Amino acid sequence: MAAVAPGSGASREEEGTGGDAATPQPPAPTSAPGACLSRLPLARVKALVKADPDVTLAGQEAIFILARAVELFVETIAKDAYCCAQQGKRKTLQRRDLDNAIEAADEFAFLEGQQR
Amino acid sequence: MAERPEDLNLPNAVITRIIKEALPDGVNISKEARSAISRAASVFVLYATSCANNFAMKGKRKTLNASDVLSAMEELEFQRFVTPLKEALEAYRREQKGKKEASEQKKKDKDKKTDSEEQG
Repeated sequence: MAAVAPGSGASREEEGTGGDAATPQPPAPTSAPGACLSRLPLARVKALVKADPDVTLAGQEAIFILARAVELFVETIAKDAYCCAQQGKRKTLQRRDLDNAIEAADEFAFLEGQQR
Repeated sequence: MAERPEDLNLPNAVITRIIKEALPDGVNISKEARSAISRAASVFVLYATSCANNFAMKGKRKTLNASDVLSAMEELEFQRFVTPLKEALEAYRREQKGKKEASEQKKKDKDKKTDSEEQG
């Protein structure tokens, strides 16, 4: 049986952006048959999809594809940010690397202004 | 208790794992950066959903389907995701089909067993 991902100590994000209280998140078990296809819990993705008032229903395939797309997105943005860190000769990705990566790519324009 | 969409973050552990696997060994990520990526991922879902929903509405459908999401990826300039997503979708459909067949087979076997038990 695969172990549940430990969330202690790592799940509290004291970001302090706009004074919003971070909702404590229970560590979501990600071990499931077929997890090789998608690591993100589909239920969470579905919750985000349903948060859109214009969305009536979403098929299971759509949720799955979105989850996979998010994974690709995270990989892409992490790699872009890493390029920025490398230029600064650092081995730790910082927030500013992410900001630079967002500014540099047109497709990340929708993220600008979201992070503050 | 109203939850804003931005509060629905994806699990940090999974986000962290995806980031680490995308980067070379020995590279770390600050908590701030990881948190920012997590929020960006949530925003991405909302943004992609909204765009996909437009395609669904154009098609006069009320249910978002996979092709709506794929169309949204192209629309949002994430064409590079389309091919891997199509492959993932194929694999997912095969798996779902396999699961369905397996559970149908199980049911058949169970019925057979029940029948033979009743006879015995």
